Amino acid sequence: MQALLYPKTYSFRRRPENILAACLLPRRESVVAQNFYKGRWSYTAFVAPILLLIGMFFYIPVFLSFFWSFFLERPFGGGSEFVGFQNYARILGDPEFWSAMRRTLLFMVIAPGLAIGVSLVLALAVNRGLRGSHAARNIIIWPKAVAGASIGVVFVFIFDPFLGVFQSINAIFPGLWNPRVDGTDAFITIVIAQIWNGIPFNFIILLSGLQTIPDTLTKAAAMDGAGPWRRIVDIELPLLTPQLFLTFVLEFVGTIVEAFGLIDTMTQGGPGGATNLLIYKIYSDGFKAYDLSGAATQTAILTIFVTVMVLLQFRLEKHVKYER
Amino acid sequence: MIERSNSIQRVAAFVMVIGTIFILAPLVIAFLTASRSYEEFVQAGGIEFSVGSHFVANIREILFETELPRQLINSFVISLLVAFIKCSFAFLATFALVFYQSRLNTLIFALTIATVMLPLELIVITTYQVVANVAMPLNWLLSILGIANLSEWIFGWRPEFQLSLLDTYIGVAAPIATSCTSVFIYRQFFLSLPQDLPKAATMDGAGPIRFMIDILLPLSWTPLVATFMFWFIGGWTSYLWPLVAASTPDAQPAIVGLAKMANADDETIPNVPLLMAGALFVSFIPVLLIAFMQRQIVQGLNLSEK
Repeated sequence: MQALLYPKTYSFRRRPENILAACLLPRRESVVAQNFYKGRWSYTAFVAPILLLIGMFFYIPVFLSFFWSFFLERPFGGGSEFVGFQNYARILGDPEFWSAMRRTLLFMVIAPGLAIGVSLVLALAVNRGLRGSHAARNIIIWPKAVAGASIGVVFVFIFDPFLGVFQSINAIFPGLWNPRVDGTDAFITIVIAQIWNGIPFNFIILLSGLQTIPDTLTKAAAMDGAGPWRRIVDIELPLLTPQLFLTFVLEFVGTIVEAFGLIDTMTQGGPGGATNLLIYKIYSDGFKAYDLSGAATQTAILTIFVTVMVLLQFRLEKHVKYER
Repeated sequence: MIERSNSIQRVAAFVMVIGTIFILAPLVIAFLTASRSYEEFVQAGGIEFSVGSHFVANIREILFETELPRQLINSFVISLLVAFIKCSFAFLATFALVFYQSRLNTLIFALTIATVMLPLELIVITTYQVVANVAMPLNWLLSILGIANLSEWIFGWRPEFQLSLLDTYIGVAAPIATSCTSVFIYRQFFLSLPQDLPKAATMDGAGPIRFMIDILLPLSWTPLVATFMFWFIGGWTSYLWPLVAASTPDAQPAIVGLAKMANADDETIPNVPLLMAGALFVSFIPVLLIAFMQRQIVQGLNLSEK
């Protein structure tokens, strides 16, 4: 019965995340759609809700941020005035913006790299099917259900120089660890919290990739005399490239925005702006300093940046092999 | 495995244990700290690795003396709305995209995909302005079409509509629900069904709507339930948007309430045990969901083969 209902099993290449890749750059073969029914009215009725929703709350805001970036908007509805590229000139000439951008880039390199590395090692270990691996797998996914803002409240206490786990170190070497004052320490705490929160999703994707590697390949390699370590390097890692690529794409965009909850509860951009990433700067410029035009302009710049990054990554994806 | 190799098994077991400890440590520390009273905590001067006796008292304080219980209900309603909108809208649209013949299919699919690329947090400034007055597009339309000027000229009244959804459940939930990842998941699932399914339904006299309700919906139960729970958790854990869209404590979800509680504390030594109890309190529903329904969620999202 199962076979009757699902004759085409999900082959690896047809999984949603790969289709995401396939659709953004439509050069891979597309799956044949059924396209059976006709009827304009019912078609419109089915697609209208989602189009209204994304039109209203996605496309209009995106359009507005670009639109506003050319206007000087007064807070509290004081009218607006067309200023051309002046907002851009102001933002791009602001050293604050560039240091926030630099910190964002640094964060985007370090946090996803570590989160994916840790998840990969964990997935390789759990995939060996040892005793207790089911429980470990279940627990490792828990942080997915914990909001960044609520774990931030916990982490800020754990890393507190006087109350947290490092208080004994601080008692011996005063001032060695103090994220309240030291910018680097604060940055490290955000990175650790981000890794904690980022493990589950990467872990699920990588583990599912490992599980699709056919047994026959492993057996053949073992027959040829490849030991388990050798098989990780020569079989499992190369066959995991698509999943690794996917995690990098998702993490890359994800870390830009996900860090907000952590920053807001742990450091609020401080000390001395050391953890003031672009996403937090936009929030504080827009909602605390009421610089709507400036915030909109930075939103527009970040939007362009993310779009270019995602498209570049999918260009890079050409080198990823999907065939098994 | 194929051959017994002790070295790698031992390393794998070690890695697994370390990983599990890393994941559990913050939760355990939060629980241990939540089990002490404020006085005990101040006296001990920080973290202590033993279970105290004040956990129930702290939870009672959270329940009866803070706004968190009310905000927990807000979280619940908002997350349900997010999950419902995401699943139902995407299900309807994907049904049309896969089973209908239309030249618009590719365009609409591309429009929905693009929402996945830019997270809501990026465009939060302008989304706020839209939600603060959802009649804004209507006002634009009226002034572009000249109706606004016409009306001003004839009636001496310029139509300006104003409808704010800030501080409402739907206003908080709708923008979170714009990311259309479900469309991919359902599309993949629909395409994996037998091609002749709609044809067979038509032969038996069922139209497209009957086909959708009586055949497609029961078949799609697994991915629907999985995505519903996944988006529920996603709605629950979102922070930046609810923070700006809900300004009054009555409308805020629990995560925002907890963060406000943490940031508002200006004592020399904040009441950390109470905060830890709060952090556990706002997280237990989604964590239980992911701990007990994990197989359904992971399988239904088709992220895992086994």
